[in-house]
Amino acid sequence: MTGRWQDESWARSMWWSGKTTRRKFLALSSTAASALGTAMLVPAPWREAFGQARPYKIGTLQPLSGTAAAGGKTALVGVQMAVERANATGGINGRPVELIVADYESKPDVGRRKAEKLVVEDKIDAHVGGYLSNVCLACMPVYEEHRLVNMVGVCLDTTITTSKCSRYTFRPFDYAPAQAVAVSPYLVGKMGKKWHIAYLDYAWGQSTRDAYIEQIKKNGGDVVGTTGIPLGTADMAPFVSRISGSFDGLFGIFFGANAVSFTSAVFDLGLTKKYRYAGDGAIAESTHLPALGQKIEGFIGINRYVPVLDPPLNTPHHRKFFDQAVAALKKIDPSGPLPDRYVQSNFEATNFLKLGIKKSGFRGREDTMKLIEALEGMEVKEGDDFPQGDKMLRKEDHQAFIREFIFTIQGNKHKIVEVIPREQTIVPPACKFV
Amino acid sequence: MAQIIIQTINGLVNGMVLAMVASGLTLIFGIMDIVNFAHGDLLMLGAFVGATVLTVTGNFWLALLAAAIVIAALGVLLQVTTLRPLIGRDPLTTILATFGVSLVLQKYALWQWGPSVRQISEPVPGHFTLFYLEYPWYRVATALLAGLIIGALWLFLKYGKYGIWIRATTQDRVMAQAMGIPVPLVHTAVFAIGSAMAAASGVLFGPFGGVTQTMGFDFTLRAFIVVVVGGMGNLGGSILASIFVSLLEAYAALVVSPAQAVIASFVVLVLTMLFRPTGLFVPTPK
Repeated sequence: MTGRWQDESWARSMWWSGKTTRRKFLALSSTAASALGTAMLVPAPWREAFGQARPYKIGTLQPLSGTAAAGGKTALVGVQMAVERANATGGINGRPVELIVADYESKPDVGRRKAEKLVVEDKIDAHVGGYLSNVCLACMPVYEEHRLVNMVGVCLDTTITTSKCSRYTFRPFDYAPAQAVAVSPYLVGKMGKKWHIAYLDYAWGQSTRDAYIEQIKKNGGDVVGTTGIPLGTADMAPFVSRISGSFDGLFGIFFGANAVSFTSAVFDLGLTKKYRYAGDGAIAESTHLPALGQKIEGFIGINRYVPVLDPPLNTPHHRKFFDQAVAALKKIDPSGPLPDRYVQSNFEATNFLKLGIKKSGFRGREDTMKLIEALEGMEVKEGDDFPQGDKMLRKEDHQAFIREFIFTIQGNKHKIVEVIPREQTIVPPACKFV
Repeated sequence: MAQIIIQTINGLVNGMVLAMVASGLTLIFGIMDIVNFAHGDLLMLGAFVGATVLTVTGNFWLALLAAAIVIAALGVLLQVTTLRPLIGRDPLTTILATFGVSLVLQKYALWQWGPSVRQISEPVPGHFTLFYLEYPWYRVATALLAGLIIGALWLFLKYGKYGIWIRATTQDRVMAQAMGIPVPLVHTAVFAIGSAMAAASGVLFGPFGGVTQTMGFDFTLRAFIVVVVGGMGNLGGSILASIFVSLLEAYAALVVSPAQAVIASFVVLVLTMLFRPTGLFVPTPK
């Protein structure tokens, strides 16, 4: 009897003893491959219910690791909720939906490669998702080249539906110019004339900054300065401490962990006492509120979705979505956050695709043009598929217009201050499809 | 003038936190020749452990201590299972191994704690007026505390029995072994100390911007710059380089945008590698 179990004769061949032999490597590899193969042979839950019906293959590219992983995880929850719901209610046109998930690691080059893989190897019928605007922009040519519909789930960069618009890409939620049109009268009329804008220095932040500068000026206000901060900056104090001068309000354009860093810095350095603090709603998503605590009190934001059950979001459709989303989010986050706009827009984007497929009788990629024609100009009403409210996908640029919520944070909770109807958010199309 | 003083304080605060991160990294490199790409992720895990302990106990200092101990134990586990078998191999092997560990730790944090940002409250409340800003005392306290921890590490290495073992092993591991120093144990202990330093930095930095699974990335990159500029494996050099690079970035931010100021540290890195590859803060080799 030896002292260590690793020295027993039966263990000697399996335990790593400092030397990796070809035999051990092959044995372990084949065991792992067998286990993986067995798991893959078990049919997906939807297969049993739909028999031999060929599934619609929907691909979704999300940042499940890297800088934007936190938002990507909640965005994926939205897509999964919609796909599970579609399969539970008989699929689409009697066919199940198979969701193929790909992680682009928050990097545009990886995103482009994964998009190619989804399209060429996995042979998806359509795509829904995308989170970081630079990745959405990098992947759009892939969908265009292979002629399949790309339903954007989160990306807000203005150019996606303006100067870089594509016949194959749809954005079924708002964008910065519409948000700027909606909130600027409130900013200038009720908070102050002079503004300083701080923004994340990449595609989305820059295009959003430009939209707000234009609208604040149009409403009689002025932007006296701007500060760009690189994506992923851990400590924003050196940037924030340079913001000074005579202005009324500080407008922030940040999301995710960057939003938490920025808000912490402006609060810690006393800027929230000197200036009114407002910004894009992504600064105050429910996943950030516990970390920000008192620092975000009184913040004024604009967002397409706020997780409250107050009017006009006190509908049975929204309650249903809200409860399902809370349960789904609890599975990926033990702290149990409330749903955010990423869950909402991905859920509704997938439902837009579902409606388009139904309406066009879409069979596969060969019917992409039929699907595009069905989606162009599509108007949907508030309901279980669209709990956020009515929507319209404009034919000219594939941009949706929806109602917006101006909200504040009170007691670490969202409170709706004003609802802007979608008719008051519309901006003229600026897209020419090639 | 106001801007110069504000940026000097910002540079010193950032420099001291960076020095804490870099000291662990350089200690590990100096003794094991391992470029630890997972160092920033140990910082991140330390911050998560600290946030969890803080939520349960409400005591920041206990959270700081617990995070350092837990991550030191994790460091021991990582060193024994992943890095010890690779000692003496091609440096690329250890780079790939630590990069793999980094990805695993990030995924684990996302799975364990979810995507929500976690909070670590400041243990030192209050602000003081610094020209047009209200500067938090906590930032100043962080710099002082980081200085104390680094000082304690220096004293330990200089005068402690085991510190002398570490220095001896760093200078010549074969001779150290011949003198009866248990070199493998010293390697493990150094990795544990480096990990604990990273964890403590994570907890100290937590109140600055919340705790997320990607918070270590920015530190890893900057820590590598200062370790190269300060001289690979040179503790004093890395500390001086941290403060030098942070102040340089802060002053550069006065004339260009802070986003462009970061370029200054890369310029220093390139110049160091070109003209003084052994590091700026080590004596010229005779």
